[in-house]
Amino acid sequence: MLEQQLVNALTLGSVYALFSLGFTLVFGVLEVINLSHGAMFMAGSFAAMTVVTRFKAPLAVGILAAMLVSGLLGLAIDALILKRLRARHAPHLIPMIATIGATTVLTSAAQGLFGVEVQRFPDELLSTREFIFGSVHVRALELAIVGISFLLMTTLFLVLRHTRQGRALRAIAESPKAAALLGVNVEGLFMATSFTAAALGGVAGLLIGLNFNSVTPLMGQPILHKGIAVVILGGMGDIRGALFGGLFLGFAEVLSKAYLSSQMGDAVAFGLLFLILLVRPAGLFGRVLERKA
Amino acid sequence: MNRATKHLLFAAAGLLAISAVAGDLKIGVAEALTGGAAQYGVPIRNGFQLAADEINAKGGINGNKLVLVIEDEQGKKEEAINVFKKLIFQDKVLMIFGPTLSNSMFAAGPVANAAKVVAFGTSNTANGISEMGPYIFRNSVMESDVLPVTVSTAVKHYKIKKVAVIYGNDDAFTKSGYDVFKKVLEDQKIPVTTTETYVKGDVDFKAQLTKIKATNPDAVICSGLAEEAATLMVQARGLGLKVPFIGGNGFNSPKLFEVSKTAGEGTFVGSPWANTNPTPANQHFVEAYRAKYGSEPNQFAAQAFDAMTIAAAALKTVKVTGNLANDREALHAALPKVAISGATGPFKFRQSVGKDGKLAGYDADQKPFIYVIREGKFVLFTGK
Amino acid sequence: MEAFADFWATYSTLIFTVGIHALLALSLWLTLSCGLLSLANAAFMGIGAYTAALLTLHLHWPFPMVLAAGGLAPAVVALVIGAPTLRLSGVYLAMATLAFGEVTRILVLNLEITGGPEGLNGIPLLTTWWHIVLILAAAGYALARLRRSRMGRAFEAIREDEVAARMMGIDVEGHKLAAFTLGAVLAGLAGALNAHSTFFISPREYGFENAVDILTMTILGGISSLIGPVLGATILTLLPELLRFLHAYRLAVNGLILIGVVLFLPTGLWDSRRLGQMLRAWRTRWEGKP
Repeated sequence: MLEQQLVNALTLGSVYALFSLGFTLVFGVLEVINLSHGAMFMAGSFAAMTVVTRFKAPLAVGILAAMLVSGLLGLAIDALILKRLRARHAPHLIPMIATIGATTVLTSAAQGLFGVEVQRFPDELLSTREFIFGSVHVRALELAIVGISFLLMTTLFLVLRHTRQGRALRAIAESPKAAALLGVNVEGLFMATSFTAAALGGVAGLLIGLNFNSVTPLMGQPILHKGIAVVILGGMGDIRGALFGGLFLGFAEVLSKAYLSSQMGDAVAFGLLFLILLVRPAGLFGRVLERKA
Repeated sequence: MNRATKHLLFAAAGLLAISAVAGDLKIGVAEALTGGAAQYGVPIRNGFQLAADEINAKGGINGNKLVLVIEDEQGKKEEAINVFKKLIFQDKVLMIFGPTLSNSMFAAGPVANAAKVVAFGTSNTANGISEMGPYIFRNSVMESDVLPVTVSTAVKHYKIKKVAVIYGNDDAFTKSGYDVFKKVLEDQKIPVTTTETYVKGDVDFKAQLTKIKATNPDAVICSGLAEEAATLMVQARGLGLKVPFIGGNGFNSPKLFEVSKTAGEGTFVGSPWANTNPTPANQHFVEAYRAKYGSEPNQFAAQAFDAMTIAAAALKTVKVTGNLANDREALHAALPKVAISGATGPFKFRQSVGKDGKLAGYDADQKPFIYVIREGKFVLFTGK
Repeated sequence: MEAFADFWATYSTLIFTVGIHALLALSLWLTLSCGLLSLANAAFMGIGAYTAALLTLHLHWPFPMVLAAGGLAPAVVALVIGAPTLRLSGVYLAMATLAFGEVTRILVLNLEITGGPEGLNGIPLLTTWWHIVLILAAAGYALARLRRSRMGRAFEAIREDEVAARMMGIDVEGHKLAAFTLGAVLAGLAGALNAHSTFFISPREYGFENAVDILTMTILGGISSLIGPVLGATILTLLPELLRFLHAYRLAVNGLILIGVVLFLPTGLWDSRRLGQMLRAWRTRWEGKP
């Protein structure tokens, strides 16, 4: 049983990590707790579903659609809302509340467009392939999610570390003012970040929607709560932290369900979050960002 | 002043406040049309609408047309109370259908009861709903009538020695279903290997299922809704857990097969309704629903459809005078006498007893059938 | 008179809800006035509501005592968790209080005495309009006095600059704990009043969404004065009712209004300074330039 539970934890943790990647990126660069990330997740899922069911497009096109639609929505939120708030140096809370408003609008629009019932992907798309190692069962799709989480995380990490844009982004994360003085196109990079983060959210939505074959207007809500926990655990704004935090939460949840009681699964996640904040406010793996807004 | 003129005056006074044409029968519908509970509220609303349209197309009730005043209660208790009050005091409806969730009924039911207006729930399964007062009705099936039969039939068929249980523990519907299962298992002396829970919005049940598999049960009992149950079954098969499932009311939706395909084979479900039930009334309902809404009806829609038929049958015997209080009372008096045969089969009411020992509201009195899932369909179980 | 009776019968619960939400917004205003961003007030409301409802249902306490207990119970919890938690600042405090709220909700969900997900039903209707008016007025008066007191000025100093406040000899920890605990009292009272005006309570009313709702009402109204939170609560409670004719899209409009206020009224709907300026401008135009 333990081996299977460890695999379960790994796949669940990867799901959390995948979701949290874009969430933490926005926080790291824009310093915004973007509560509309759940809506990006949902929008990506619906975009892909529309393309593959209504226009019979292949899955690759679906992935592109998810990235594009979510990315553009993220860009729109940035251009229409966050940019103005940045311009007047609004405190953290204000953009967060604005993103709550954006979430309400998007969820309500999705309910109007697609209805409230659960939508499913067509059968042909769903690979039912599974691998059996001894007593351990893993589905191909789950392996893909684990692989893609690691891949995206590594790519993002390398881009931030080794490209010119990445260095500029990190400069912004340290101090936008100094970065602007150094000739970095701060606004442009903020927009690029919003697009990338939302596109990552969209892909996460598609993959997770595919894996559990369930797409609804409200699918972003429960995972958003977990995403918040992950980002705190991993350290806010830390790309590696999203992966570690996600896996940590996945393991904590699965193992507490397996060996304590399934009623306590969520209580363990949030209780842990509470305790860790008291002991290590910057998260398990993060460092404190000593920066005044 | 004779009675007729008095009534006329009353009606005229009433008309100042409402915009309905004389001869309209206003019925309130308070369901969750947005928010998380909308996935139940919307099919319910569709069921009411379908039934009302059919009745009106056939000339209405004694020449009067049914007019539905539909309001969204969002699945929230305050909203349910607000909507009930609006329907009772402002729209002046004859009776109210809804709300969607048992929780909302606990909040809004007393309002209707105090105003002496019938509140007719079609999807409230929690214990204690009809005990709130004599004006509370429901035609939703009581799990406590169904599950003992489902469990004993399945136990006999599969020669079950021990079972594992899983249920949604943050939802009144699935939790009260679990309470009944628990009692039934104790009564029938069937040992439980482990009891697991999940919460709304969960999509990954593998941790619980792995644990269940390790305890080696002969069947899994699940109190959950079709959407979750389907995902649960797929994941169970993916983990190599091959034992049959036994489900409650919530399983009763063709949605179960959209995802689970063949994963649900051999599942036992007890209910008065199944989409495959061949009675003409049901087949008519299923086809009409499909034609009008382009999707498959579920048990919630079927119960709403029947509830409207029940109300129509009661209204047929009521002489509508235009005096709102009298008409509401007449309808309240006529409802318990109704017996129909609808999409969910033969139906009549049974009066319940409140906490104070007095006679209270009305529950459904229906005979459940046991269905088993074969080749992705509900098939009436006949003992083979 | 009959028109009023009809109006009251239809909208009394809605009006009660406005008052209760105003109390909640004030409770958060109090915590925010000390610079603490807390998402625990929904949980405090829940603790107050459950304590009060259980006392009424099982022990049949008189309503004033029930209300008092509903305010005190969350205060005790706030004192216990406040000491370690309030060392955190900004979003970290918000997240810790969010986690506390979720743990509380899950506990209530799994306890026997709270009725689990089915909640508590059959709570008698004891809240009347004057209870709400009285408590709201008392809270408003007390908070207005507090603002001008030593303690209120200390809160403000801490909010503006914690380090400077500490150097001036202000007991930062003590004041933070006081703001957090007093906020919990108001939230608990709101919970007790709500439980006795809606027949029913369940854990889902005190979750993350509700914490965010309280925050939104307060910020939307503006925190520069006491009127702001009350105004924000009133508008956000009435808006969905007024927008009912929009059916499926009313929540979308709700969201758009929220974004609009955040974008175009940075200090909330009610900003005394802005209003003062407008008034002065109006007056100069009226009286002509001296």
